[in-house]
Amino acid sequence: MLQNLRKALEGIVVCDFSWVGAGPIATNVLGQCGAEVIKIESRNRPDLLRTGGPFKDGIGDGLERSGYFANRNPNKKGIALDMSHPKARAVAVRLIKKSDIIINNFRVGQMEKWKLGWEDVKKINPRIIYVTMSLQGETGPQKSYMGFGVNLNALCGLTARACFPGERPFGTGTNYTDHVMAPSHTLFGIMAALLDREKTGKGQTVAISQLKSAISMAPTSVLAYAANGDTLGPMGLGDPDAAPHGVYTTLGYRKWIAIAAFDENEWRAVKKVMGNPEWAEDEKFSSLKSRKENEEELDVHIEEWTKTRYADWLMNELLHNGVKAGVVNDARGAIEDEHLKQRNFWSYLDHPVVGKTLYNRAPIRLSKTPLRMETAAPLLGQHTSPVLTGMLDYTQEEVNTLIEEKVLV
Amino acid sequence: MNEAGSLSNLRILDFTGELGPYAAKLYAGLGADVIHIEPITGDPLRSIGPFYKNQPGKERSLQFIYYNAGKRGLALNLTMEKGRDVFIELCKGADILFESFTPGYLDGLGLSFDDLSAVNPRLVQTSITPFGSFGPYSKYPGSDLTCSALGGFLYLAGIENEKPVRACDNQAYRMAEVYAAVGSSIAALFAQRTGIGQFVDVSCMESVGMALETAAQCWDLEGVLRRGRGKEAGSATIHPCKDGFIAIVAIMGRNKGMWEPFVQWMKDEGVEEWELFDNDHWIDVAYRESKEAYGMFCHIFERFTMKHTKQYLYDAGQTHRVAVSPVSNGKDLLENPQLIHHDYWKSLYHEPVGGEVICPGAPYVFGNLKWRLGDSVPVFGQHTAEVLGECGYGPDEIEALDKEGVVYVAKS
Repeated sequence: MLQNLRKALEGIVVCDFSWVGAGPIATNVLGQCGAEVIKIESRNRPDLLRTGGPFKDGIGDGLERSGYFANRNPNKKGIALDMSHPKARAVAVRLIKKSDIIINNFRVGQMEKWKLGWEDVKKINPRIIYVTMSLQGETGPQKSYMGFGVNLNALCGLTARACFPGERPFGTGTNYTDHVMAPSHTLFGIMAALLDREKTGKGQTVAISQLKSAISMAPTSVLAYAANGDTLGPMGLGDPDAAPHGVYTTLGYRKWIAIAAFDENEWRAVKKVMGNPEWAEDEKFSSLKSRKENEEELDVHIEEWTKTRYADWLMNELLHNGVKAGVVNDARGAIEDEHLKQRNFWSYLDHPVVGKTLYNRAPIRLSKTPLRMETAAPLLGQHTSPVLTGMLDYTQEEVNTLIEEKVLV
Repeated sequence: MNEAGSLSNLRILDFTGELGPYAAKLYAGLGADVIHIEPITGDPLRSIGPFYKNQPGKERSLQFIYYNAGKRGLALNLTMEKGRDVFIELCKGADILFESFTPGYLDGLGLSFDDLSAVNPRLVQTSITPFGSFGPYSKYPGSDLTCSALGGFLYLAGIENEKPVRACDNQAYRMAEVYAAVGSSIAALFAQRTGIGQFVDVSCMESVGMALETAAQCWDLEGVLRRGRGKEAGSATIHPCKDGFIAIVAIMGRNKGMWEPFVQWMKDEGVEEWELFDNDHWIDVAYRESKEAYGMFCHIFERFTMKHTKQYLYDAGQTHRVAVSPVSNGKDLLENPQLIHHDYWKSLYHEPVGGEVICPGAPYVFGNLKWRLGDSVPVFGQHTAEVLGECGYGPDEIEALDKEGVVYVAKS
């Protein structure tokens, strides 16, 4: 029945030169929404993430076992095309003619070297959306400064406050900016350009700055400094408008419960679930202001209570009484979470080398054009022949010749 | 309105508060006509600090100013029948409605997606909530912290047995908002092509699932429950310096080509005991993960970093092709030479506070579309009369609705 439903981006074709993190995550979402994403790699230049762990059963041999790579690339078609070969450009040009979007996250100048910069591409296809992604923009004194997500987390201001008072900053523990901020702004930029094309009939460039995307989603440090000259301090686990607000130890190995009480009703409900202990009636905890002033002591009391109980029991009791609470799930907890399961957030897709492995869909549920989670990440070059013959009008003989000439490798 | 270089042909209703405003801001930034609808009691975000000059006030919340710049503002009482009629009128002319009500609330008021769709079949309704519109948790209360926890994101922000730490600026909300903007734009394109609108369900808990990096696959493929990076010597570590902290990724995996420039940098700086870095055991991940290696790395490297500023280390490291960056605070960002070069920071004069507010600028540059911060931020009820007028209400009707408390019209 689902097959009869339409896809939101049916008919949209993506010529995808992007690799590693932010680019492939963006095109992953387009693919899930029904776009035909053609991922271009080469044995001479595979997506680097193919060699990044985790690997199925911990075995990192070859290019087809990486879960890091897989989860960013389902529902895409993979073609092998060695762009350093003089005959490769003609294949790319045929694809560009059929595409609505062309995306890369190479260093500035790489596409131009292949004569596939914007000026060239717009002559091939004036309706195309031409997407580039840079760390800090393509001009300026630090344009060539390099960095990974962890660097960008720090540079954009996110790391400084992800810190317990008196300790060194920690951050998110991940390359957060690469995974959320850069790809999501890339996606919105692409869609805005497509919406604009509906009016103008023309394509355009979209240049994403990863640093600026990140600052857009974490603006408060600058707002406060610019307006008030204040440098905002470490967040710890707190929130200026809530107490208790934190993560408390429970029974079990690395098990905690997150609790957030913003107003007096929520605080009363916390007390009720705790069995209205005497300490909680103290003047020190009688208002948000006083609870904030005595937060350390408050947290000690709360933890005395949580540490002899199970996190899931605490969560249920608190939620049923109207308190915002949640188990601090590790990955297994999130994968096995009943709510996410019922919403089909996770799926297992079958892959020729590693079998059925875990993927997540994009966090958008479209009621009339559901996202698809149909095919696992492509093997390198898995769809070279079908894409070239089915979509780009090559004959099988021509494909075979291009393979022999080491163009399609 | 159909101005070139903008999405001015899109009309967006933004009925969100603390959770939601960045979604419609993305549209406002490209010139869409965004109407921020507030309850008659005011958007709760107006009460959230920090405030301009640290003086609390309904028109002084810096976050409210940032997230709502470039939008128009209308105050509406949905609990009154006439308020619901006004809401229906607004939805008739809208392309996208963003809302962050508890699932079921609008349905109970006779404003379900089916009801709204009946008056505007092209409408895209995007709901942004902690847990989404269905599923076992859908009606539970949630916050940024609890959604970050449940989705598996918070757990990664710590190592070993330590409690995780929280990221600033309510990232679970921000992730849901930015994906709500994406989802609604995809649905809006479909609506423009087919005339068919739809309901877009976005939850914070799922959105944080986009930020798990390798964690879900580490469990699924290897049976490993990973936590954050941060104690593997020289690989995504944070170190103190003279005026703050820096982050460094001097090596990843077994990439010796990354490590060599770092060793060269240490040698060029004449760092005491730099020779100890000139050894292949640093290429071994297991060694770098040992307490001994991390301790030695910090000992040698920090004796050097403590003598220098983050800006010096940033420039010197980058000159050596080492991925060093400052752990920026607000001041560092405002003074960042690259951002200044791009004229990135934008300011707007906010009349109620009588001063300029400086805000982040454009996240992207387009060939045709132009980004803008917006000329102003709506004071409470500022555009109520204007917008109702556009919906066909006469001045007398608007005055009556204002008197009855159905809407609030700001008195100029």
